[in-house]
Amino acid sequence: MKRLLVVDDEPHVARVLRVSLVKDGWSVEVACNGHEALQAIATNPPDVMITDIQMPGMGGEELCRQLRSTPPARPFPILVMTSMTARDQRSWAQELGGIEFLEKPVSPRRVAAILTQLIAREKNNA
Amino acid sequence: MPEGHTKELARYGRWLLRSAGPLFRVAIGNAEGVLLWPAEADSALGEALGACLDGPLITDCMRKVPVADGAAYAHPAKLPDGSGDGWLIALPSLDPAPREIDLDALADAMDDVAAAMSDASRLNAEMDLLATELAERYEELHLVYDIDRHLANQDLGNEVLQGLLQSCAEQLNADVACFVRPADNLTISAAHLSKPIHNLDLVLVEMRGDLFRFVSSSRATVVMNGMDDSRRPYILTDMPYKVLACPVFQGLEMPAMLTLLNHQSKPDFSNSDRRLGEVMAHQIANVMRMQGMFAEMRRFTEQMAAALIEAVEAKDPYTRGHSERVHHLSMRLGQALRLRSEEMDNLHWGSLLHDVGKIGIPDAVLCKPGRLTADEFTFIKVHPERSYEILRHVERLKGAIDGARHHQEKFDGSGYPHGLRGSSIPILARIIAVADTYDSITSSRAYRAGSTHEAAVTEMQRVSGTQLDPELLDVFLRVCEDDPGLLMRLGVRREWDDH
Repeated sequence: MKRLLVVDDEPHVARVLRVSLVKDGWSVEVACNGHEALQAIATNPPDVMITDIQMPGMGGEELCRQLRSTPPARPFPILVMTSMTARDQRSWAQELGGIEFLEKPVSPRRVAAILTQLIAREKNNA
Repeated sequence: MPEGHTKELARYGRWLLRSAGPLFRVAIGNAEGVLLWPAEADSALGEALGACLDGPLITDCMRKVPVADGAAYAHPAKLPDGSGDGWLIALPSLDPAPREIDLDALADAMDDVAAAMSDASRLNAEMDLLATELAERYEELHLVYDIDRHLANQDLGNEVLQGLLQSCAEQLNADVACFVRPADNLTISAAHLSKPIHNLDLVLVEMRGDLFRFVSSSRATVVMNGMDDSRRPYILTDMPYKVLACPVFQGLEMPAMLTLLNHQSKPDFSNSDRRLGEVMAHQIANVMRMQGMFAEMRRFTEQMAAALIEAVEAKDPYTRGHSERVHHLSMRLGQALRLRSEEMDNLHWGSLLHDVGKIGIPDAVLCKPGRLTADEFTFIKVHPERSYEILRHVERLKGAIDGARHHQEKFDGSGYPHGLRGSSIPILARIIAVADTYDSITSSRAYRAGSTHEAAVTEMQRVSGTQLDPELLDVFLRVCEDDPGLLMRLGVRREWDDH
């Protein structure tokens, strides 16, 4: 079973993703901010991570920077959720590279399709 | 198990530990005999968990479970994450061995914890249900946003439908989204293929037949996932796809249908897909209704313009067809000049209506054969300004008016009504002037027969730069050369006709 880590301080977002993606055979873990995410990644790195940007404590940008500066043993694709209106706030992620965007409100179907693509791409690269 | 749930389970475990008292070790496990809390492996607790159902009931719910070192106590409980049934286990510690166990107190403790866990489980299940519902609403919202975006950005041609279908295929993750309107032989489709479909054209053609007839007679959405569906042989032959077909209504009629196709390897079309498909079909119905209204408005406008032109031409039978021909030639010139579509629209109306002001000229002047007196010519010179006065009441024609008002200006500034010169004459007016001059020379009038094309060209070249814009004239002559059929269609005489 593929494991997805959702990092978001709004529980409903994570829950919506969980109930929709469980049907497609994903197991979904939830972290409320960057710190919790780093802990979860240290104990058991996921196959994919989806993260919000604005969160109390450590936000999505800092989380991604930390993951780039000290990469986990097994790297994984990262999706960042942004609002449609905040397109201009993406430059940091483009600098870091290898980060894809999801526009909020997220459509679980689209997420499922994107995850499938990402996994297929990873497989091809491996 | 997700992080949050582990923490939650630990809270129930510690609660049970406190309520059961120091004589017990306790555990929580699932129905498959997997120990969920505490995290450390414990063989005695594991053994008890595995044997829960073997023990007889000793209270309403609590069982006494035989284990190697005596007995454990087990109480069924719902797991708080909603994942199903589980067990609470209490195992009396051996050191010091309890002399007497207060089973009632233990059963009460177990009951309380199990009840709380069951509440949590129910709440969690309810939340999941709500989240599922929310997820579907998100999908609808996304689709509606997309539809909205498409409808806002474009006029209502079939490109809008094409865009809507593309969104629909992507949002619903369907291989093909297709709109068919058999009465007009219209099929518009968008693909978002997970795997290729080699005979897509054939598939689309087939949908116009039996599938459409079936949906149209049932007047309801048709979902066919199974390849062994009993309706399949009557509806689709040789089409191994999952089908979702929604009727598109216009009042009581069903002129069209929206169909989604998926490869067999994709998940079945669900109720939520069905609902989204119906939302989409509804929006398409709205687009069609608007297209109909749009077309009607356009027809109305054209007919009103035709009536106006008829009014002008009724005054002078010899100018019959003049407005049409000038319009036709002006549009050809506009195309050759690659005018923007907005400009072309202005040219369309400006050229058609350029002579509307002639309504105000007395018949005696307008239809007089032979030369006009200076006074009579003054009447003629007023007509472009009259055109302006008539057309300015129509807001829609705002951009077109200048073309009509200034089509009698001359390139050297000697024209009327304002004596504009060169590029200060609006481009549309300069275009109409070329077309108007050409048609005036080549068409027959009350007092003379129309000249040949060649004579017209000679005459126009003579006044190039004084009366007409030389650059536009060059373009016009090129258009005539490139398409001799154009002159034939306009009924222009050629030099060789005379011989």
